[in-house]
Amino acid sequence: MRYDSITEAIGNTPLVRIDPSVHGLRHIDLYAKLEMLNPFGSVKDRPAWHMARPYLEDAASGDGTVVELSSGNTAKALALLAGMHGLKFKSVTNRMRVPEIKDLLLLLGAEIEELPGQSECLDPTDTDDPLTRFHQALSEPGSAHLHTDQYFNPRNVEAHATGTGPEIIKDLDGRAPDWFVACVGTAGSSTGVARVLREHDGDVRVLGLVADKSDFIPGIRTIDEVHQVGLFDPATYDSLAAVTSQQAIDGMITLIRRCGLLSGPTGGAAYHGAVRHLASVDAELDGAGRRRTAVFIVCDRAESYLSYVRQRRPELLGRPRRGRSPSEVGDEAIRAAKARAVDVDDARRWIAEGEPRPLVVDLRGPHAYAALHIEGSINIVDELFAELVRDGLPFSKRTPVLLACPVGEKSLRYAASLARSGHPDVRSLAGGIVAWRDAGAPLVRE
Amino acid sequence: MDPPLASLLEDAPFLHSLADALGSPLNVLIPEVVAENAERFGAVYRRHHLSGRVYFAHKANRSSALVRRLAACDPSAVGIDVASLAELRHALGCGFTGDRVMATGPKDPEFLWLAARVGATVNVDSVTELEQLAALVGAHGLGRTRVLVRLSGFESDHGPAGAGTRVLSRRSRFGTPVAEREAMWAALERHADSVELVGLAYHLDTIGLEEKGRALERCVLLMDECRARGFAPRVVDIGGGFGVGYVEDAGEWERWTTALSEAVLGLRPPLTWRGHGYGLRNDNGTVRGAAALYPAHRPLAGPGYLDELLSRRSPVLGRASATLLLEHLHDLYVEPGRALVDQCGLSLARVLEVRPLGDDPGRYLVRVGMNAADVSLEEHGVLVDPVTLPRGGPRHEAADGGPVGVHLVGNLCLEADLITRRLVFLPHLPRVGDLLAFVNTAGYVMDFHAHHAQRQPSARTVAVSREAGGTWRWCPDENYWPLTHPQGRPS
Ligand SMILES: Cc1ncc(COP(=O)(O)O)c(C=O)c1O
Repeated sequence: MRYDSITEAIGNTPLVRIDPSVHGLRHIDLYAKLEMLNPFGSVKDRPAWHMARPYLEDAASGDGTVVELSSGNTAKALALLAGMHGLKFKSVTNRMRVPEIKDLLLLLGAEIEELPGQSECLDPTDTDDPLTRFHQALSEPGSAHLHTDQYFNPRNVEAHATGTGPEIIKDLDGRAPDWFVACVGTAGSSTGVARVLREHDGDVRVLGLVADKSDFIPGIRTIDEVHQVGLFDPATYDSLAAVTSQQAIDGMITLIRRCGLLSGPTGGAAYHGAVRHLASVDAELDGAGRRRTAVFIVCDRAESYLSYVRQRRPELLGRPRRGRSPSEVGDEAIRAAKARAVDVDDARRWIAEGEPRPLVVDLRGPHAYAALHIEGSINIVDELFAELVRDGLPFSKRTPVLLACPVGEKSLRYAASLARSGHPDVRSLAGGIVAWRDAGAPLVRE
Repeated sequence: MDPPLASLLEDAPFLHSLADALGSPLNVLIPEVVAENAERFGAVYRRHHLSGRVYFAHKANRSSALVRRLAACDPSAVGIDVASLAELRHALGCGFTGDRVMATGPKDPEFLWLAARVGATVNVDSVTELEQLAALVGAHGLGRTRVLVRLSGFESDHGPAGAGTRVLSRRSRFGTPVAEREAMWAALERHADSVELVGLAYHLDTIGLEEKGRALERCVLLMDECRARGFAPRVVDIGGGFGVGYVEDAGEWERWTTALSEAVLGLRPPLTWRGHGYGLRNDNGTVRGAAALYPAHRPLAGPGYLDELLSRRSPVLGRASATLLLEHLHDLYVEPGRALVDQCGLSLARVLEVRPLGDDPGRYLVRVGMNAADVSLEEHGVLVDPVTLPRGGPRHEAADGGPVGVHLVGNLCLEADLITRRLVFLPHLPRVGDLLAFVNTAGYVMDFHAHHAQRQPSARTVAVSREAGGTWRWCPDENYWPLTHPQGRPS
């Protein structure tokens, strides 16, 4: 394959059969349409290019901004496409909820504008929601903005009607599948593919999947939110069903660990929703003697969602344990370490007259330390200190140490931990820097 | 519902006797609950080792009983946020000393004078206000007044927010934009003999933790800037807006809001008077607009919301907000209004008339002795269903035949006087003489908009407390003093 531009690599994604021993359906062949293998990594490459192309190819490069309401894959594709054509890209979003995606967008040079959160008090003067104001700003005369408007733009649907849908038919040797399963975000892929499949065979059943209302799956909308999507038409779907984030992650893990498909949560949701729905259909097919076919879409890849998984299923990302961290010191050891606490007066005397003088370690964050600290102290922020003492002592046993934190609690825990690791003279400032200040003892600025 | 409010509702004869004696509408408050709520905020402070005060935003309710009960709390833990001269006088009359008072909101000279006179802390909105205060302090030989500077406009500040990202916030009429802080610092320096900067403040009208966390961190960074200028501020005041969860069951709230969208699209019969959409509209089969409703199901509200805010990592320095405050040796002030009076009371209305709605036989109009201003549910977007308290004895279920949809109309001669625009489903059709109890109205909703239009009686308010034997005792709001509680000796 040899291309002049990466955009030529958009589309023609593989259709891969899921091993029946994984999904357990006896009479249905289940296929995954791997949209994650598009060059920018998702199902959105097609509509992004199809919507922006006429403008980008004409644009006299250098000024103008492509704008979209997206916190994810559409933004990613548009940012890359805009960059290739010398334009800027701005993403306006209610919330960037997946940190990796936000970082990735920043890396791609995108500008991100986060809309305000919901008001606490009801404000009757606030007749316009932020989105309305956003649309007003875009339509101001003279603004060099291309708003791709993915939730309303028919070219979003068209990209799938001319690409994704026909490819599925082609790869099924000219037949439409009996079921098509897709998650609903902008409704572009489900609507476009459904249209083409139905034109080909009126009996195709379409299952749309939405996120459970109180839950969050990146890229999918809840049942209320789909009603706000211009491209959404209930008639497109034979049924709509909700998937939880836990189910999406379950599906994703199955695709990854058992099928070799590096799917993200949306693909997992589609897989889970498909198997759940098809299981009863499969039971009814017992004895009918006919095989059926179903296709679902894997929208994007797993890498961008590690923090999403970590938040919801930390055990899936369990790491081997190293040495013990100070936070694992038992209450018993803490009680024993009480003797290691020194009050402010004794600490001042020790610092002034000790032979040798103690090393004062301030465990607070560097910004707080810079603002005010005990003269002569050094700063090792607690998180870093915990890492250091897991693997040994960061200073000689011959150096006495006074640990200080805000209120003397954390430092006592750390003193207990260091004592256990064999340091003979480590103490904790009782009451911490707060007590030090309240006693009128001097603090200096950096 | 929490136990005190729930058990009060179970005592229907007591509530009927109150409404018989004092009329409809009637507000009932449980002052003990406000103290328990303050204690819950205090527990969050202790969990994070933070010091500072919880200031009750008085504007949430005009009651004396609540303010007096709070005045009786630990002075180092509980203060009061007053937003007018009258609120300040009321707080002082209820037992708050000046040093426990925070003056916020729009301020006239009398308000500023009395605040400075009694040693209150003034939450200053602008340079003009600061100059006005300093002039009063100078002209009247008042003591050096403690001030907090209220900041706003955190989003337009291209400080260390991270390249490429801009977080927009709702615009507010209060506070000095961060970008204009230089003039404020200069004014504070000019008037250093009359005002003392004790800290920085913000109050953002949003439920977004992200924006609040960002503003909190920005204040911590700006405190450092103040120190570098030679001030010695110690306090970060993060305002109110911690919220209340009015509906416990998420599913119930979600089903209703979904149904509202569907009703707006015409997919199901209207759920509201004349198909009102609460800000949602049907634009060619697509729902547009935003629902102007209080987010009634809030899994994270009140002290829990504060805990979450304090536990989140700040965007720039990457430490939990509580850790930031603690490490910088800052005290935390909060000003909960609504959240502090959560579960503190209810509003009662007598059923005056019940009749079928002509064009829709399944629905009824229920007219009550109260109007929309007495319990401003609509004004605040709060959707709580009333609880029916039948008049005497268990009702005859067969006669009333199960759940029914009713429109609640008020006692004003106005088409628009609906207690709520929403169709309310009651388990049974109420009868004339029954009471409807709207629970958890003490935050803003109880009597915020009550007025004397049409000479209808406005609600009296009573404070109730539980006696040792479990019976309820009451007194007029203005007669409540924490002394009579919990022994329940009449004053
Ligand atoms: C300065 C200030 N503090 C506190 C509050 C109370 O907020 P809430 O009742 O939402 O807790 C308000 C409300 O307007 C306010 O303006």
